[in-house]
Amino acid sequence: MRTLFNNSKPITLVVLFNIMAFGLLFFRNQNVEIIYYGLTVIGIICFVYFFLQWRQWGDVYLFIIVTMLISIGLIMIFRLDEDLGIRQVMLFSGGMVLFLLSYLIFNSLKFWHKLTYFYIGSSLLLFIITLAFGRTIGGATNWISFYGISIQPSEFIKIIFIFFLASYYNTPDKLKIPPIKISDKTIEIKNNIILTIVAYGYMGFLVLQREWGGALLMFLIHITLLFVFEEDIKVILMNIAFAIVGALGGALFVYHIKVRIDVWIDPWADIAGKGYQITQSMFAIGSGGFFGRGLGLGSPKYIPEVETDFIFSAICEEFGIFGGVAIILLYFILVYRGFKIALSVENTFYKAIALGITAMFGFQTFIIIGGVIKLIPLTGITLPFISYGGSSLTTNFIALAILQAISKDAYSGMGGKYE
Amino acid sequence: MNNNKRIIFSLIIMSLLFFSLMAYLTYFEFFQKDNILANSYNQRLYEYEESVVRGNIYDRNGTLLAYSEGEGENQKRIYPHNNLYSHIIGYSTRTYGKILLEAKYNNELLGINELKVVVDLKNEITGQKTKGNDVYLTIDHELQSLAEKLLKGKSGSVVAMNPTTGEVLAMVSKPDYNPNEDKLKENWSQLVESEESPFLPRATQGLYVPGSTFKVAIASSAIENGLGDETFDDKGTIVIDGKEIRNFGGKEFGTIDMKDALAYSSNTAFAQIGVSLGEQNLRNLSAGLGFNKSIGFGIPLKQSSFDYKKMNKTDMAAVGMGQGKLLVTPLHMAMITSSIANRGMMVEPLLVQKVTGITGNHMIKNNPTVLYQTMNEQTSSQINEMMQQVVNKGTGTKAKIAGIEVAGKTGTAENELSNGDNSKEHAWFIGFAPAENPQIAVSVIIEYSGSTGGEVAAPIAQQIMRQWIK
Amino acid sequence: MYELIATIFKYIFTLIIYVFIFSIIRMIYLDIRSMKGYSKKGIEAYPYLKLINRREKFDFKLFESYILDEDKSIGRSNRNEISIQDPYLSSEHVRIYIEEDICLIKDLGSTNGTFLNDEQIEEESVVLNDGDRIHIGQLDFIFVSKDEEE
Repeated sequence: MRTLFNNSKPITLVVLFNIMAFGLLFFRNQNVEIIYYGLTVIGIICFVYFFLQWRQWGDVYLFIIVTMLISIGLIMIFRLDEDLGIRQVMLFSGGMVLFLLSYLIFNSLKFWHKLTYFYIGSSLLLFIITLAFGRTIGGATNWISFYGISIQPSEFIKIIFIFFLASYYNTPDKLKIPPIKISDKTIEIKNNIILTIVAYGYMGFLVLQREWGGALLMFLIHITLLFVFEEDIKVILMNIAFAIVGALGGALFVYHIKVRIDVWIDPWADIAGKGYQITQSMFAIGSGGFFGRGLGLGSPKYIPEVETDFIFSAICEEFGIFGGVAIILLYFILVYRGFKIALSVENTFYKAIALGITAMFGFQTFIIIGGVIKLIPLTGITLPFISYGGSSLTTNFIALAILQAISKDAYSGMGGKYE
Repeated sequence: MNNNKRIIFSLIIMSLLFFSLMAYLTYFEFFQKDNILANSYNQRLYEYEESVVRGNIYDRNGTLLAYSEGEGENQKRIYPHNNLYSHIIGYSTRTYGKILLEAKYNNELLGINELKVVVDLKNEITGQKTKGNDVYLTIDHELQSLAEKLLKGKSGSVVAMNPTTGEVLAMVSKPDYNPNEDKLKENWSQLVESEESPFLPRATQGLYVPGSTFKVAIASSAIENGLGDETFDDKGTIVIDGKEIRNFGGKEFGTIDMKDALAYSSNTAFAQIGVSLGEQNLRNLSAGLGFNKSIGFGIPLKQSSFDYKKMNKTDMAAVGMGQGKLLVTPLHMAMITSSIANRGMMVEPLLVQKVTGITGNHMIKNNPTVLYQTMNEQTSSQINEMMQQVVNKGTGTKAKIAGIEVAGKTGTAENELSNGDNSKEHAWFIGFAPAENPQIAVSVIIEYSGSTGGEVAAPIAQQIMRQWIK
Repeated sequence: MYELIATIFKYIFTLIIYVFIFSIIRMIYLDIRSMKGYSKKGIEAYPYLKLINRREKFDFKLFESYILDEDKSIGRSNRNEISIQDPYLSSEHVRIYIEEDICLIKDLGSTNGTFLNDEQIEEESVVLNDGDRIHIGQLDFIFVSKDEEE
């Protein structure tokens, strides 16, 4: 046992896990294609892993933790719906290419910190396009499609938002508007006020699209960065006060939020209607027990949106509470690595980006897992790297690539700020 | 660096969030899961149910009380004794769900267990259909049938239990209903609308004022608080705080001690005892008997209640005679009686003796669990003697059994029909036998009897005790 | 049959995932512990190289000091005990080692050479003395030997 613990390289375990799980699924569905897709996944994981090691592209832990998460996700999606599984493997392959490209692009360009206004402009454009041409799926107007491909721009906007915040904290003075003249007085608006307005603007657009989870996530990222980089304690307190007022107001007057809170407090009251999703999720988690019912032996199909938002419940049903806790632990060490990188980077811009991306992974995980286990009110959002969905998967891989690039030793020696 | 300090602080917050996820998930698994899974909206239950044959239910001697017929979706639950066990076993149907024992022991009856897969595999090889576990009750079918016969046409409840082990031997509530699915469908609307509430399992869910039967508990508290040797001048009525209290039928007993006061059920004496005990002693007494606390049992059992925020003297007098804001279930009353028979120890009541089957095969309980020491051993033997007096020369003579000493206490409980012209009080009787070596404790209540516990409830208890001891 | 295998596998899956988590945490732990080798605590006991240049000038990772507790080679490749991504270093540039309490330095055939107190050294071992200046690639170090102070 001891030697097992000491000699097992994480990558071997990931490969072993994939071989066993895809083998099991092949045995279940009796479809040879599953073997091919399984081998593709293993091949891609090994190739990228050894490539990163060979080129010394930054922190080795980040990617290896993510491979375990993505493996669990792919296997679960394959088990739920073979067609979606095949599509997700394609998306994963594409995502890996994008991952390597993003790394190269982010690493080679050195003017990311100068594009403050570009970030604002491009997000605004994306928001307007979404609102104008967006399709409504599941109550949220957040999809645009062209040439048959549907994408969710709000996923990508999250990264732009982080870049915007980081470029602001790098050089706060650059964000300013000319003093306003009213008769004799000139009013100068402080730049941290402008930041606050822009940040809440982002969230406002998400609320317009009915994407509550995304808005909450952005708020948490904003607050985290503000807390770490803002010197003026008054601004931090003001933001928190604003959030409390907003949350109370929302809980009392906004119908959608009120419903979510009511369902959270007592989902059994309207079990066939509004409480259906969360109660089905709880049935699934409960029926899993400690070790789960076994891959393919549960009935996760009763849960609505099981491949996306509720995939954690399906995992708990078939892998048990131990499986669920393991997933939470995996995210936790991922987030811990992220914080470690943010701590060791000295350049403010890169520090803020690393922290923002880490906060995004961490809070997103907390919001959705907390939601499906009924620890907090449910807001629809995907589970990073595990849920089905192209936009979410690619966004997360881009974010990971950037974190990976920052983790490369190169930036640790780079002090101060860009001038 | 200041930034880094704050980053570490954020990391701590994040760690707490992740920790709370894991903690809640574990909490959910340990404490919430069981209740949630039994919900009838959980389709997994039906899915699973169709794949197994639900286990049988037997009485303590192996008499078949419930079994399943047919396969898959057409599986049907059959109750060969019709109404007799409706308030213990309940029913299990697709349309109306499950209640009582069928609900509470659902997992056992279906054989849901971690070992299930191995069992399934074995059955697949041998070509057998998976069968759930069988449940054996502590109920004695003959005694149960007798109790039902004695209650026929009345409404009320009979509970009989073994005072030392806590095993419930008979538990009948009337009116009842036929739990077989076709009969349920036939009578459903009528049953639901009936004013007699046939769906109410009175023995476990019905709450009644204990009336004079509670005097045994008051007497025990009086003895333990040094009031055991007092005598009372009973003039038939007494005025406490401006309120007149009368004996039943206005009888005068003269100068009597506690023994006689209990034997003749003197209200004036016990009203005085209630006042002398005072609020705190009465509160301690009710808490020590398990009032306002939930008691674990094979099927849901309502809490008995002692519902006073503040007590004045009239309240204390009322509680002294077992009236006022006191409510008990017949089962709890049987438990209080048992504790007197069992040297002051109130044991946890048992309904299920064992679960057998491939994934079951275990005894539920080996040793009785003592819930409360309601009184010390010496007091209990004094109360025992007093209760023998009740049967030998007092209000409970109709419970006498030739050749066997019986201990008992009668009672009449006030209700909303108490003060009319033709007043219809509930009639109580509690008792146990043989007094020197109790084997059975009984509580009987007849609703709206229009008579006394000694007249209508005592004879029923007598027959049940006689049958069991014989 | 599938049920049985899936049931056995579920325990194996749980085991694999937890061994995975354990091995990652172990690696991170070992990583942090090896970083501590550069901390001030280590410096007190062993001779070390002190960097003179300002670290901010370079876009690769550098530490203020490198302790010489054992045989150490310096170079660009990560096979070296001390790996520095200075493009002017050879992949295996120079070796510093201890023999009978004396520190010795030896060039490993580097392209741009190794300079001890502004004099280029050959592929022969040279004894290091406290306060010696070592120049490799773009970097300057001072050799600090603790022995004399103690």
